[in-house]
Amino acid sequence: MSRLVSLLRSPRLALSVIGFLAAWTGVGAWAPWIQPGGPPAPAWAVAVGLDHPFTAWAFLVGIALLFASTFACTWGRRARVVAIGRGELPPSATRLPPGEGDVRAFLAAEGFRGHGEVLTRFAPALWGGWLLHVGLLVLIATVLVQHAFSDSGTFDLSEGERASLAAHGTVFGRERGPLAPEALPDVQVALVRFDPFRKQHGYSSDRLSELEITLPGEAPLVETVDRASGIRAGGVEIFQAIPTGMAMTFEIPGMGMRTVRLTEETPRRAAAEVTDPVGMPARFVVEAERDIDGAAGPGKLLVWMESRGTRRALLPGMPFPFGAGEARVLAMGRWGRFTYTRTPWLWGVFTGFGAILAGCTLLAFPAGVARLGRPGEGAAAVVFTVRGGPALVAEWKRAGPPA
Amino acid sequence: MQSILFWSAVTLYALATVAWFAWAAFGRKWGAGAGTALLAAGLLPHAGSLALRWVEVGHGPYNTRYEVISADTFILVAVWLVATLVARGLRGLGVFVAPSAFLLMGWAVSTFELKREVPIIFKSWWLVMHIGFAKLFFAAILLAACCAAAWLIKERNPSALSSLPSTEKLDLYAHQFMIVSFLFLGVMIVAGALWAHQSWGRYWGWDPIETSALVTWIVFGIVLHFRVLHRWTGRRMAWLTFVALGFAVVTLFVVAILVPTIHNSYMVGS
Repeated sequence: MSRLVSLLRSPRLALSVIGFLAAWTGVGAWAPWIQPGGPPAPAWAVAVGLDHPFTAWAFLVGIALLFASTFACTWGRRARVVAIGRGELPPSATRLPPGEGDVRAFLAAEGFRGHGEVLTRFAPALWGGWLLHVGLLVLIATVLVQHAFSDSGTFDLSEGERASLAAHGTVFGRERGPLAPEALPDVQVALVRFDPFRKQHGYSSDRLSELEITLPGEAPLVETVDRASGIRAGGVEIFQAIPTGMAMTFEIPGMGMRTVRLTEETPRRAAAEVTDPVGMPARFVVEAERDIDGAAGPGKLLVWMESRGTRRALLPGMPFPFGAGEARVLAMGRWGRFTYTRTPWLWGVFTGFGAILAGCTLLAFPAGVARLGRPGEGAAAVVFTVRGGPALVAEWKRAGPPA
Repeated sequence: MQSILFWSAVTLYALATVAWFAWAAFGRKWGAGAGTALLAAGLLPHAGSLALRWVEVGHGPYNTRYEVISADTFILVAVWLVATLVARGLRGLGVFVAPSAFLLMGWAVSTFELKREVPIIFKSWWLVMHIGFAKLFFAAILLAACCAAAWLIKERNPSALSSLPSTEKLDLYAHQFMIVSFLFLGVMIVAGALWAHQSWGRYWGWDPIETSALVTWIVFGIVLHFRVLHRWTGRRMAWLTFVALGFAVVTLFVVAILVPTIHNSYMVGS
């Protein structure tokens, strides 16, 4: 057991693990097959898992080893820092050789303060390294927990449409951690207004939506969302995504309103394939005067349906045969895409980040503890500094010639 | 007016380079004083040109290569000047800072571009933090590398660059700048993660620059471990500092030029 702990605490292992993670992550960032539209991964990369570098077993083992090594190195470090603060300095502490100069005055000029035998400089900053490593442990642990519980998905809405995220078929592209709830969020979302090219001062045109969000047993909440920031309702956050297109709303007697979302075929043409109520395929097509996604707007629209080998022009309010009966076009509008996320434990991830940064901040201060030399010790003072020991000795030698 | 101020700054940085060269190559004592004064003076028109640009385009210096490099140069000179107030011995680093500033300004102006609008996802205070700390990170690691370069020169010829501090002090300053750049890089990464979460609901997406920044942070961690655990100093650490600078340059400038990433716009346009 003690051999395992010694191995985990060894600097060589720590550096090897960090080096491996840096190299692996670097390949993950740079490999051509990782880039969008890149070539397929070569066989050797697939064999070692580099075709999916950040979920590969090698990477996960590296992270586990990093956690174990960091834990072993951090364990007991708190007691060492407390001891150093009391003046019980480690053997590696710098020894200022005996000299004719006033060592207390020299140390005071170097920023050390105190009245007794022990002088300190930025003493709280001695905790920097410990805090940084604790933050790293918290970060690794909470990222794993957060991933296990995280849940996200995508849904499309047309203007005026209301949908329940929990309803079958609303959400697609779902990504769920192994411990995340299986049930979709019980939230109703309606797209009240959608402008795909809204101009906000200083920014280029972009999507802007007004959403009505209803949680069970609560009053509806109307919020505006753009791609700069999402909105939170209950434990769910909803974000505006980029994809958009034309949408056609029509009414089928006895079946109510239906919305068809058309996807772009050419810059000026969009279409959607549907199945009518009797199971026959039909295709709705919209052709625009200008680019459908152009900031100037699509201009005049030509709409038709292709079914059973015929093409029929459609106008708002005009009935047209659809299945066994007739349907009626109500409106042409646009659809927008949204994503939802549920990310419990996110506070833990950012606590880890915060502790790491706090530790780094403390490390920026040149903390140190000095103990004045004792009779027979052969040193004017023994000094522990987080850095700069050789510079301190050089300054001391310059300040007072050796005795 | 903006151009006049920009070129005034370039001229002052060029004159500062000449003054520092006179100090380093010919031992002209006035060179150090004049070089420092010229660099400090250059900051004024430089600030003016950045401010006018900001007013003109309506956003901070982060949307084109010209804006990014020009602001990076301003931060480099400003951080060096502030550092000299804390540690006077760092003044001699002006011999590296002045030509760096001059060359960076040359690179900036070679890619002059005007873009008045930014994407809507730039509407975030986390972006300001993210970019601000990226600039501070670049300045800090460049100054660490300057200390390392000065260490190597002084180690070979102790009488060279006479007003620079001892090799022990230079090694200490390089370590100090490295720690500070490690912190700034960490803040940059975390602010970017918070910005991503605000806009997309995820704090990490393994984007090439995001990943490259993480690799750089890990490499800095390795270098700092060599210092702390293995007590590496001097020549080996000077070269490792250059390696760290290399990773920083790749992350901040090279990846955005070579690899398609969501960060492309600031280096290669939208």
